[in-house]
Amino acid sequence: MLKRQFLMPIAALAILVGSMVTLVLFKSPRETTHRTSTLIATTNISDRVTLRFVSWKPDHPKAWDEAIARFEQAHPTIRIEREIAPHSSTAYHDLLSQKLKNRDTSMDLFFMDVIWTSEFAAAGWALPLGARFPSSERQKFFEATIEAGTYRGELYGIPSRIDSGMLYYRKDLLEQYGFAPPRTWDELVLQAHTIVAGERTRQPALRGYSGQFKQYEGLVCNMLEFLGSLHGASAREARNPLLTLTSPDALTAVRFVREQIVHALATRAVLTYQEPESLAVFVQGKAVFHRNWPYAWGMANDPRHSNIVGKVGVAPLPHFAFGESVSALGGWLYGISAYSRHPEEAWTFIEFMTSPEMQRHFAMHASLAPSRIALYRDDAVLQANPQYRALFPVFQTARPRPRTPVYPIISHILQRYFSRVLAFPRLDIREEAEEAQRMIERFERLVPLQS
Amino acid sequence: MTRTRGEHVLLWGGILLAVGGSLFPFLWLVSTSLKSPIYVEAIPPTWWPDGSLVFYRNVLFEHRLFDYMINSAIVAGSTTGLALLVATPAAYALARLRLPGTAWILRGLLCVAMFPQIVIAGPVWRMLERLGGLNTHWGLVLPYVALTLPLAVWILATFFNDLPRELEEAASIDGCTTGQTLMYVMLPLAVPGLFTAAILTFIYAWNEFFFALLILTDPAKHTLPVGIALFQGEFTMPWGEIAAASVLATLPLIVVVLLFQRGIIGGLSAGAIKG
Amino acid sequence: MHMQSLTRAPRTQADRHTGRLMILPMLVVVSVFSLYPAVDSFLLSLHRWFLGLPSLGRPFVGLDNYREFLQDPIAHQALLVTAGFVLASTALELLLGLGIALVIHEHFVGRGGVRAAILVPWAIPTVVASQMWRFLANDQYGAINLVLFGDDIGAYVPWLADPWSAFGIIVLADVWKTSSFAALLILAGLQLIPDDLYDAARVDGATAWQRFWHLTLPLLKPALLTALLFRTIDAFRVFDLVFVMTQGGPGDATQVIQFYGYKTLFTEGRVGYGTTISVTVFVVILMLSFLYVRMVGSKLLERRAT
Repeated sequence: MLKRQFLMPIAALAILVGSMVTLVLFKSPRETTHRTSTLIATTNISDRVTLRFVSWKPDHPKAWDEAIARFEQAHPTIRIEREIAPHSSTAYHDLLSQKLKNRDTSMDLFFMDVIWTSEFAAAGWALPLGARFPSSERQKFFEATIEAGTYRGELYGIPSRIDSGMLYYRKDLLEQYGFAPPRTWDELVLQAHTIVAGERTRQPALRGYSGQFKQYEGLVCNMLEFLGSLHGASAREARNPLLTLTSPDALTAVRFVREQIVHALATRAVLTYQEPESLAVFVQGKAVFHRNWPYAWGMANDPRHSNIVGKVGVAPLPHFAFGESVSALGGWLYGISAYSRHPEEAWTFIEFMTSPEMQRHFAMHASLAPSRIALYRDDAVLQANPQYRALFPVFQTARPRPRTPVYPIISHILQRYFSRVLAFPRLDIREEAEEAQRMIERFERLVPLQS
Repeated sequence: MTRTRGEHVLLWGGILLAVGGSLFPFLWLVSTSLKSPIYVEAIPPTWWPDGSLVFYRNVLFEHRLFDYMINSAIVAGSTTGLALLVATPAAYALARLRLPGTAWILRGLLCVAMFPQIVIAGPVWRMLERLGGLNTHWGLVLPYVALTLPLAVWILATFFNDLPRELEEAASIDGCTTGQTLMYVMLPLAVPGLFTAAILTFIYAWNEFFFALLILTDPAKHTLPVGIALFQGEFTMPWGEIAAASVLATLPLIVVVLLFQRGIIGGLSAGAIKG
Repeated sequence: MHMQSLTRAPRTQADRHTGRLMILPMLVVVSVFSLYPAVDSFLLSLHRWFLGLPSLGRPFVGLDNYREFLQDPIAHQALLVTAGFVLASTALELLLGLGIALVIHEHFVGRGGVRAAILVPWAIPTVVASQMWRFLANDQYGAINLVLFGDDIGAYVPWLADPWSAFGIIVLADVWKTSSFAALLILAGLQLIPDDLYDAARVDGATAWQRFWHLTLPLLKPALLTALLFRTIDAFRVFDLVFVMTQGGPGDATQVIQFYGYKTLFTEGRVGYGTTISVTVFVVILMLSFLYVRMVGSKLLERRAT
């Protein structure tokens, strides 16, 4: 009786456990043999060095494979071994900091998000590179990208590319209504309202604006671009918006975003948008203006994803009446682990990958915007990426986000502040700003912010 | 025991609501996973899929979902085996051998089962770091065993407790040692209990996210929940792929539930109420 | 000897020795991976330790972190959100769970299938359920909007954009996921009620409602209390839902205490303070667990004693 009742389940369990065991048995030996064979391979050629490069999975893997193959060809004594980390920036950050805290000597090279430099430098995790990278060389890069790799006057990261926020717009609609791309935020609001009202019967779903306003790092980028554009680009406040979070101007700018952008031009839905969702609205043809990074150009002009191919224009983000355009700098820096046993070889790799030739390669085959200025006059690069002519002035407006070893904390405070005032339309902006300022000051006392 | 008309309406209304509510969201996911890419982002959405398998192909061959499934199977399978190996003798001893302190151990185990993961996550992480267990499957299996032991011990102890004592006593008279009694007399009788404990442990380990997120940072080692949570690329929101991956991650569990519904219901309530 | 083992008095010395050996591995595993970490966490919460600022060292600061916790408005809000979540989700889960339990306790054709269907949400990984509900609540492609508004896309609502509705969706997702578990606990209680009580009530002419209200509910009290505590403790530990669906937003409206602890501990690298948050959650849960253990935990022992 008992037996028959449980025969089926027992059989199933047995099969389940059996298959697990086989999986384990067959999987692990293969792994170990693989490892020992590579070990033998590297020790046999005694002067050959293997560098371990921890990066995320690239969007254009072939371009990367080719670049690394070319490096190994040019430097036969160095082999690059890649470890692929999660694509999420936060998860990648946690992985790197775990390895570095652990003084993991197996990792030689990594990518640093531009906002991590100070943290990695202060913690002693990233190797100083200034001596290897003289100022004559630095001047060939966008200033903001070098600044992002610098902490207290020392350089820790070499920019692999440039990334910054910019304004995408519907060229066809703007032309149709006789508008030039907006230079100020007020112009943008006016144009958007005119176009949306004019198109109401034909395109009832058309909105004025789409950007990233979910509570996450992208919100900080979007909001600091508004706040930074209150001032002249070289003003102290523009370089460090945290100094003036509670100034009347800054409060007005936040109110402007809340009342004129989020709850007027856009829909409330932008409060749930990161890059993919906001771009989807734009490529569906449902937004006049869109804020995003350079990659969106390719997506918006790809007929597989986009309804607005050939109808897209790009311009620097607008500014407020007496200010200048500012865009948040994004992107990745090459860094060398302070615990690497082969810093010389690692440097050779970085030098190779950031050389004009390789930046040209990445621009042409992976659409990564070069961090070297000269390449924006390069025929081959411009032929593959005609939009770079328009993007170049945008990149010159790029500014790093606040540089501090406690950036993750500061960012969380800012995310909370901005998200609260945008999501609760009746909340007093001044009180929220003052609270955020107080919280930030507590941590500034631990480590002063760089200006 | 015949029902009035009203009771019939009430009963079948309830059944319909419960089944519909339980299944509809998941069926929507299944439907999404079977749509062509253009229909996933259709506005308004379409109810019925067009039967495209492109998302399944993508997740299996481009997104290493197959690796995640193998990882999950290894982790959940080893956790289940180890947890039962440790829990069975302990549960028997606690249920039958009248050791001093039994009551306190059982109470303590219930408390341990309630520990919030985050309070043990940090120290466990540092411990594994010293032992070299980060980014290894055994590094995840060990804490999983610890986390699932309390429930497994409770289920098994309850089960042993309900078995007749006469057999053991007979065995003891025949000169069996305690170990032999457990091995040859009690264990065969306890198979249904073992089975329930195994299913619940397996499901726990298959579904756990927090520890897996912290301990396995190398995508090649990810288990299914972490793989699915971090599925989102930097610049795209692949809903269709997420749906397909979710369906594949869930199917084994649905099969388990369909087959062993009775054992699961009995086991869950044993840990909690029957006592 | 034989007589001694037949009575339920303490067994032989050898037996006890084997018994100790049998529970030893279990005690070791639980101590190393649960008890020791909990103690270690408490000690850590007495230190100030910033991962990114090694120059500050790891000084012992006594109860400073706990003082900070008392003054931290973000922590207070997270506690409030958590309390709201626990109340709303537990209440709904108990109500729904009771309903489901009453239904699946009845005898009808296809009951096994219905029970299995109801177990599906419970078996689905929480991460999958979270992604699923995030998709269902999507402002453009979501099934919730489709069900409510059909083709009228102008009426579609971005459910996760509004602080209140975002909170509501999180609660809804949790209720969907765990009501069946509550139902199982309650079902176990229902099965303990003898059928002849109902028959007697019928003979006395009690209506279905009267039978439920005066018979079922009072006898079900222990099971309901168990389910209540079980769900309360579990709801306190909610993490996956928030991590996947909202990351705490908008405006911290869905930032529960576990997620705040995770952020401070693992993203910000404030090890001392982050641990303090987790220890505080731990203490609250421990108190609830004690309650639970007092109610339920000793039953097994009582029965053995009789």
